[in-house]
Amino acid sequence: MLQIQNLHAAYGKVEVLHDISLEVPKGKVVTLIGSNGAGKTTTMRAVSGMIKPSGGSISLNGKNITGLTSNKIARAGLAHSPEGRRVFATLSVTDNLLLGAFPRLTFGRERGDVQGDLARVFELFPRLKERAGQQAGTLSGGEQQMLAMGRALMLNPEVLLLDEPSMGLAPLLVNEVFRIIAELKGRGITMLLVEQFAAAALEVADYGYVLENGRIACHGPAQQLKDDPAVKAAYLGASH
Amino acid sequence: MEILAQLIVSGIALGMIYALIAFGYQLTFATSGTLNFGQGEALMLGALVGLTLVGHMSYWLMIPLVLVFGALQGIFVERVGVQPAIKTKSEFGWIMTTISLAIIFKNVAENIWGHDDITFPSPLPTEPLQFMGIRVLPMEILVVVGALAIMLAVELFNRKSIYGKAVVATSNDRDAAGLMGINTGMVITFSYALSSMTAAFAGVLVAPLTLTGATMGVVLGLKAFAVAIIGGLNSGMGVIVGGLILGIAETTTGYYVSTGYKDVPGLLLLLLVLAIKPAGMFGKSVIKKV
Ligand SMILES: Nc1ncnc2c1ncn2[C@@H]1O[C@H](COP(=O)(O)OP(=O)(O)OP(=O)(O)O)[C@@H](O)[C@H]1O
Ligand SMILES: [Mg+2]
Repeated sequence: MLQIQNLHAAYGKVEVLHDISLEVPKGKVVTLIGSNGAGKTTTMRAVSGMIKPSGGSISLNGKNITGLTSNKIARAGLAHSPEGRRVFATLSVTDNLLLGAFPRLTFGRERGDVQGDLARVFELFPRLKERAGQQAGTLSGGEQQMLAMGRALMLNPEVLLLDEPSMGLAPLLVNEVFRIIAELKGRGITMLLVEQFAAAALEVADYGYVLENGRIACHGPAQQLKDDPAVKAAYLGASH
Repeated sequence: MEILAQLIVSGIALGMIYALIAFGYQLTFATSGTLNFGQGEALMLGALVGLTLVGHMSYWLMIPLVLVFGALQGIFVERVGVQPAIKTKSEFGWIMTTISLAIIFKNVAENIWGHDDITFPSPLPTEPLQFMGIRVLPMEILVVVGALAIMLAVELFNRKSIYGKAVVATSNDRDAAGLMGINTGMVITFSYALSSMTAAFAGVLVAPLTLTGATMGVVLGLKAFAVAIIGGLNSGMGVIVGGLILGIAETTTGYYVSTGYKDVPGLLLLLLVLAIKPAGMFGKSVIKKV
């Protein structure tokens, strides 16, 4: 489904991703683990076109999307819920969600049942339904995070990229986010997940990659990584 | 008292023209953080193209053509002057390019339409209407109605259509808008088209009330800029109120003090606003995004 080969990316002259290769098979959840500054967000940005990769190739569903602009990549079916939520503050919750479906409402992707999907997102996140008419900028952090996820889902994506969906949330809400990720997985949605709670991420994921200083240090089935002593020591210590 | 009322009425029409040009400044600032310093010239070109067209057709038929012309002119400015500056992340490049293009437009207009001011035939009766002793030109009413109509149309487009929402999303967060599949480069080009279109429209609205000529845009563009700053670069209500304040300050000062000083109160107000509330009287202060 999503294939990344020998990806390099840089900010200015400083290269932060060195030769990353990873794969997200259809219907699977893959998680990317790594400490702060390892390059998880940068990987996602390079995949979704927010920054141009400086080398390597990325393909979605067999289609080469390397170097395309983010709007073209979205229309190719890749949804990215970015780090820091990035909701449209002056627009209502409903408008934010509808914009998630922009390619379906205009051109580039099959329209399908946008209103039905909107109803399903509201079902998944009842809080958003209560706040449907409210400006997104006035939502709480947790609600904004749900909105960012819901907005990405509205694309009806081939692949969903989630960058730290639990960032800054209260413990109870963190559990809720992981419950929702599991539910999305049950619906067969293909996902690449970055999470600070590595143990919980490996719990829900099928496969995992460990990123260290912009390189893939190791990878394997999620269950196997969970039991790996080195991974345990470095990433599964006190968290969660 | 009657004189004051009269001055206010005349100031309103003038103020709405300022508001309309200032509205154009806001449109491009919202999506791209850049301004077209040739807004006055876009107005001037609209008025002169309109003048040429009314030689062949009615004023009302001319308006849609001028709107199309204005949009194309805006696209040209964005493609030639602004887009390269945004692409190279040049922080101030667009200031120089839009000013340069404005000068070029003025020179071209002087070569085509000459240096002298020309009278623009009024499409409406030039006899003022009387309301309780106050005289109002039908053209002044058209200015107010026309300006409000186009601003309302843009507002409705932004609120109701998915494309309008895409414009607002781009203003909110350009990168995130890109992730939604919105071609934000196109949105910025579109905002320039819309901005120059409103200026060209302002040109054919104001032309029958003033004289038309290659230099007519310079002062109007500058004053509208003051209005955009006074009202706030991100407040639709702000430009209307700011425009009206400036327009009325101008007509009243012109009468009670001297026409030589008519621009002073507006500029004083500008300095005052900049000192006290730099985001504008109605502006929401925006934390500069990185
Ligand atoms: N906009 C930027 N400009 C320059 N350098 C950046 C930028 N964003 C990130 N970096 C650098 O790139 C490296 C990777 O950052 P990245 O945000 O991808 O890490 P991350 O794994 O997502 O970390 P975190 O867990 O803190 O979110 C870091 O060294 C960071 O300092
Ligand atoms: Mg990150």
